[in-house]
Amino acid sequence: MLTVMVAAGSLILVASDAAPDRIPSFVTWSAENIAAASSGDAFRGSLLAKRCDHCHGAEGFSPVASTPNLAGMNMLSIWKQLEDFRSHKRRSRPMEPIAESLTPRDVADVVSYYAELPVFPDPQDNRVFPGMQPEAGRAAVAARLVTFGDGERGIPPCQSCHGPVAYRVGVPSLMAQNGDYVLNQLEMFASRSRFNDINLPMRTIAALLSEDERRALAEYYGAGLGLQPAGSSGSK
Amino acid sequence: MFTLLALCLIPATRYYQIDEPLLKLLRGSNHIDPLSLHLSGEFVENNLGTEQDADGSVTVRMIAQQYLFVPHCILVPAGVPVHLKITSADAVHSLTLNGTNYAVKTLPGTVSLAELQFPRTGDYKTVCREFCGAGHYAMRSEFKVVPRDQFPALRAGERGACVLQ
Repeated sequence: MLTVMVAAGSLILVASDAAPDRIPSFVTWSAENIAAASSGDAFRGSLLAKRCDHCHGAEGFSPVASTPNLAGMNMLSIWKQLEDFRSHKRRSRPMEPIAESLTPRDVADVVSYYAELPVFPDPQDNRVFPGMQPEAGRAAVAARLVTFGDGERGIPPCQSCHGPVAYRVGVPSLMAQNGDYVLNQLEMFASRSRFNDINLPMRTIAALLSEDERRALAEYYGAGLGLQPAGSSGSK
Repeated sequence: MFTLLALCLIPATRYYQIDEPLLKLLRGSNHIDPLSLHLSGEFVENNLGTEQDADGSVTVRMIAQQYLFVPHCILVPAGVPVHLKITSADAVHSLTLNGTNYAVKTLPGTVSLAELQFPRTGDYKTVCREFCGAGHYAMRSEFKVVPRDQFPALRAGERGACVLQ
């Protein structure tokens, strides 16, 4: 009887557990889209980005830890997020109307501006990133996940997609990302309230991570430890 | 002479894409665009997982990508034919089921079909056996085989998978 209940409980009905239309994002990485996303004019973008300064910082480093840093982020990943905000595939009360107000050319320009900013923050200007160094035990947990993942559970290493060891098309680098923002996104992926990852990679991985591990990873990236390949520094 | 002329025409037909119908015929029905798997066709999100067929067999649809199999845990009943349909979203992968003879190579652009059957219940760990990049060795997932009477009855349009843990 117990096994019957366990088997029934372990079933999820993929068809009925969220929004009626289950297309996670309209973005495809076709040659046309990649060309459109990388054809921006960074100077024009720098003028348009004055509107973004207030939240994302004048140099792409946000003054608030829950808002993402955009400095040096790869072009395609910012472009994809703006497109998803535009099509409401990624939900955000401030960002959806802003993205809707941009023309395709504006998006490409802003994206190429942020992609050109240096990833090393000016310590005088920026009080949030890099954050506090995590406690050694937690840093070790995070470094292990970032470098090796957890093969037993099927969790691939973070740095095999998010860099700096390797990148996939459209995947954001987490080199200079704020800890609170990383934690927020991991929790949203795990609870499936963010669902714009094409073919479910982040929803799967975030759900496989424990709550402690998510927090450790957020502290790891928030402290700027992701700037170098994990295992190369003394952080382990 | 005629052969030479025909050979010269091949690049031209490709350039103007008038050979599309012929290519479609050659590729067969297993061809699929790996970039738009998530937009339409049978590999959209709500169609992944285990589907109950009318004759008692099940169909499993999966995507292999760097560095995950999706869905991550597959629930199938023991002793019934399992029609596996798997495709790749990026590189070449190979789904290998530990403790069985099954290994299915997945190529981007093609749907790989395999007929599986699990006589015994249990958890079959799967690994990727084709080097696919920096996270290859952590690319694993699981087939959970339950007795046939414990496999939940799926309504039309519902797909089964295990809960992630």
